[in-house]
Amino acid sequence: MNSASRMPLAWLAQRVLMMLVTLLAVITLTFALMHAVPGGPFVSEKMLAPEIEAALNAKFGLDQPVWRQYLSYLWGVVQFDLGPSFKYPGVSVNSMIAEGLAVTAQTGLLAIICVVALGVPMGIVAALNRGRWPDTLAMFVASLGIAVPSYVIATVSLYVFALRLGWTPAFGLDDWRGYILPVFALSGFWMSFVARLTRSSLLETMGQDYIMTARAKGLPAHTVMLRHGLRNSMIPVVTVLGPVVANLLTGSFVIEQIFALPGIGRHFVLSITNRDYTAIMGITIFYAAFLMLMILIVDLLYLWLDPRISYGDRK
Amino acid sequence: MTRAALTPEMWQPLAANPTALAEGSSPQATRGFWAGVRSRLFRHRSAMAGLVFIIFLVLAAIFGPMVSPYSYFEQNLELSNLPPAYRAYTVDADTEVFVNRSNLSLYRVDDQGGLSALLRPDSRDMINRQSTWQIGDKAVVLDYGQRPPVLTINGEVAQSGGLSINARNPFGTDQLGRDVLVRQMYGARISLLVAAAAVLTNFVIGVIYGGISGLLGGRVDAVMMRFVEIVATIPLTLYVILMMVVLQSGLLSVVLAIGTVYWVDMARVVRGQILTLKGQDYVAAARTMGASTSRILFKHLLPNAFGPILVTLTMLIPSAIFIESFMSFIGLGVTPPQASWGTLTSEAVETLRAYPYQLLFPAVAISLTMLAFNFLGDGLRDALDPRLSS
Amino acid sequence: MTAPLLSLRDLRTEYRTDRGTVQAVRGVDLTLYRGEILGLVGESGSGKSVTCMSILKLLKRGGHITSGSADYDGTDLLRLSEGQLSRVRGDKIGVVFQDPMSALNPTMTVGRQVEEVLLQHRKISKKDARARAIELFKLVRIPSAETRIDNYPHEFSGGMRQRVMIAIALACDPDLLIADEPTTALDVTIQRQILALLKELRDRLGMAIILVTHDLGVIAETADRVMVLYGGQIMEEARVADLFEAPQHPYTRGLLAAIPDPRQSGGALTPVPGSPPDMRNPPSGCPFAPRCPKAMAICLTPPDLYGAGDALHLRPAQRTRCWLADPAVPAELMEAT
Ligand SMILES: Nc1ncnc2c1ncn2[C@@H]1O[C@H](COP(=O)(O)OP(=O)(O)O)[C@@H](O)[C@H]1O
Ligand code: SF4
Ligand SMILES: [Mg+2]
Repeated sequence: MNSASRMPLAWLAQRVLMMLVTLLAVITLTFALMHAVPGGPFVSEKMLAPEIEAALNAKFGLDQPVWRQYLSYLWGVVQFDLGPSFKYPGVSVNSMIAEGLAVTAQTGLLAIICVVALGVPMGIVAALNRGRWPDTLAMFVASLGIAVPSYVIATVSLYVFALRLGWTPAFGLDDWRGYILPVFALSGFWMSFVARLTRSSLLETMGQDYIMTARAKGLPAHTVMLRHGLRNSMIPVVTVLGPVVANLLTGSFVIEQIFALPGIGRHFVLSITNRDYTAIMGITIFYAAFLMLMILIVDLLYLWLDPRISYGDRK
Repeated sequence: MTRAALTPEMWQPLAANPTALAEGSSPQATRGFWAGVRSRLFRHRSAMAGLVFIIFLVLAAIFGPMVSPYSYFEQNLELSNLPPAYRAYTVDADTEVFVNRSNLSLYRVDDQGGLSALLRPDSRDMINRQSTWQIGDKAVVLDYGQRPPVLTINGEVAQSGGLSINARNPFGTDQLGRDVLVRQMYGARISLLVAAAAVLTNFVIGVIYGGISGLLGGRVDAVMMRFVEIVATIPLTLYVILMMVVLQSGLLSVVLAIGTVYWVDMARVVRGQILTLKGQDYVAAARTMGASTSRILFKHLLPNAFGPILVTLTMLIPSAIFIESFMSFIGLGVTPPQASWGTLTSEAVETLRAYPYQLLFPAVAISLTMLAFNFLGDGLRDALDPRLSS
Repeated sequence: MTAPLLSLRDLRTEYRTDRGTVQAVRGVDLTLYRGEILGLVGESGSGKSVTCMSILKLLKRGGHITSGSADYDGTDLLRLSEGQLSRVRGDKIGVVFQDPMSALNPTMTVGRQVEEVLLQHRKISKKDARARAIELFKLVRIPSAETRIDNYPHEFSGGMRQRVMIAIALACDPDLLIADEPTTALDVTIQRQILALLKELRDRLGMAIILVTHDLGVIAETADRVMVLYGGQIMEEARVADLFEAPQHPYTRGLLAAIPDPRQSGGALTPVPGSPPDMRNPPSGCPFAPRCPKAMAICLTPPDLYGAGDALHLRPAQRTRCWLADPAVPAELMEAT
């Protein structure tokens, strides 16, 4: 069976439909939440003259009934238009996202690469040396990576490596060294998580019957491990990569703030402190859409990794 | 065995000797499941270390702020940014002083070894960048035209003594002169409170949701699980942030937001457990005997699902603590003057260049706490799954 | 008879777990001749799998061979290093495991799983390996071998998967095939087909087979000689016909008595009352004593494995580990047997 027949169009269509439904739920929920904020969006502003407030309300359509606002917002989203920023006149939410995307995508991608390229080997080394010092060491480091919050890793490493030792710049990405600390802080948790998952999954896989079969075939130990153990043990690791992407995104809020990186996360946190409601809504929806796309990609990756999976058979 | 030793009675039937038969067949009485779990947990060293730390933390959080002479909000701007340990200069027989080189202030060391009094300079020379104190018959001059500032006593460069602990504020003070120790302990209170609330509400929501879904099954189950799927695709941090935007910052909002996000895992675990247990004989027996659904749920199913639920709950605690501190760090959590490890960290970041050690306490506290709960959770999971421990 | 193909002497294997040491095999001797099918029978946990996997040191974590030798073609397999052993595994000795559902790698085509063993032991091209794999599939009667070879294990039924396993085991023309309960996981009709296939392959290819089973019917149908294991020791060894006609050991008798027609497959070994000993702390005397209806005071001392030369009633190739076979046994007890 080739992969096309295991992923019939009907499944894909259903999957995309489900994504759209979820997205609609997210849009509705965020819209509702943002409109549930006590008082109007302009209350926190210094006493506005009533006529100015009315003008502002008219400008953002807030004088309309809520369902109208909802529908027109929805219509905008359908056209990939997330509307104007509440706080920065003349700036659209789209352009805010577009501006931050490059930075966030760069650091995020590097972080994902670190998670996979460092976390997986770390887990393999630990599993191969089960119970011996490399295992103990790797798992201790991984426990730390899981326990120490990313903002702590970020601030402590900022102090030590940038302020104290001066090895890396304290903010900005003008220099390639500027990427090191943010990427390290961003990927620390998931690198450790993936290392632990790889270790336990590999040990579990190595206890499977087909590993005994591979040994009984007379394959050398490393072939057994790499050819039969590793691929199968990667299936659960791939499963978490979807959530990893999501969490790297939300993790970037604080990392971008600490290292003063002009990414989407920083825009998001700024729009929260600024009470820039349209920006909050827009960025949330963007995140959700992006995330669902990632999960779809992981599902497809799955198909390639595990021939037993066939999306056509699902009831 | 030598053949000569064979005697006729050896060929007698053995049925009369049951104790001899019993030998070897059962080496130890089978212990109860929970006794086994407990003994495996107690042998788990990192889990026990975690547990000890958590107990210590709980005690500190409850009693610490009570016994401390300071409160978490009481400010004393004169005594701001004091270190936990300092090197003093001897001015005369009964006067020792400490120089805070970052804010160019001089403090007197009291009898207990604490930094408790700010000494105001008797004259300031803004042009030559010098401050002068007249202490007894000594002229103490701080020359901050140089970097780092130099202290002279009667014209001689002063030599500092050894390191001593700041007895008044063993963890130092923050930028508003508040005692860091009491704020740390108060931060522990907030974290544990949030954790407890999160565990409780998520437990209730999760058990009810998952229980209903699993027990009713069929279409209801399918719809309920679809909903869970949708909720699960929204990143939790994002959800909590949105909730905080709506609810406005504050402790209650944090508890409310975190209390309602983590039930999805719990619901899934409970449902999964119920589905596996549902098919088992004693549930069928209870049903035939006419037990009601809720009775089955509480009397039979949940006690059996207890293990996996416990692990999920334990693992939920560090997540809740983390989210709270994360939110507080980015300014969406508890509101000042309340202290949480997140706000303490972000306050320390503001003064990172001048007083880097202020970062140490909140960073270490949250990291150790997360580590402790993770260790305990890991240990619990291993202890509950005997298969893993062989 | 010619020199044996394999001769296992005083094999002892234990598993060290954190709940104690399991003495899985306690001094098993086994002799196997070329072209012979030796049945290994016993209740679950009696040490069958550990015995035959010890031959190739295919032990799970915690397993240790503490003594013994396995003389195969003049070399002691138990003295070989992992590297040397891997030249024997899959090449001179093939293995078929119990559960064909889990013994094949789910993410690799069955063809590659067969080719892999050929490429490991033979200097042949990938193309030739594939041709040979198709040939092997035909040998084990997998229909439309040419296309099925590119399928994944989950696309096969249990019986077909077991045929794939057999193809893997036979790929390099081994002299010995170890089949550990090859039919236990299959239903009865498939089971018969697989057994018939094994027997036919033995006739055509001339390899010896160690056939592990807990089903006396399978033994009756397939094996030439049989060894009954209990508590990690041999209780009785005999030619198949002799075992069914003149069982000597009370355990064997119990097994046979419990089955209406032992020569039918499906006669699983459960009906002897009682349960097998805990091998962390096995009985110091006869392991069967706690369940034996004939147990005597002397049975708390370990009985020898009596051969035809030193015991009563035994047929030429028969051995039994029971005090009742001792020449000193009182006459009235002999009557009772
Ligand atoms: N991986 C293992 N770890 C611990 N004990 C084991 C392991 N494998 C087998 N044993 C023990 O060794 C004994 C013999 O097992 P085995 O040879 O598998 O029995 P069977 O006759 O059913 O094949 C049993 O008591 C079993 O509990
Ligand atoms: S030695 Fe004794 S206990 Fe063991 S089988 Fe023979 S008669 Fe029974
Ligand atoms: Mg077995």
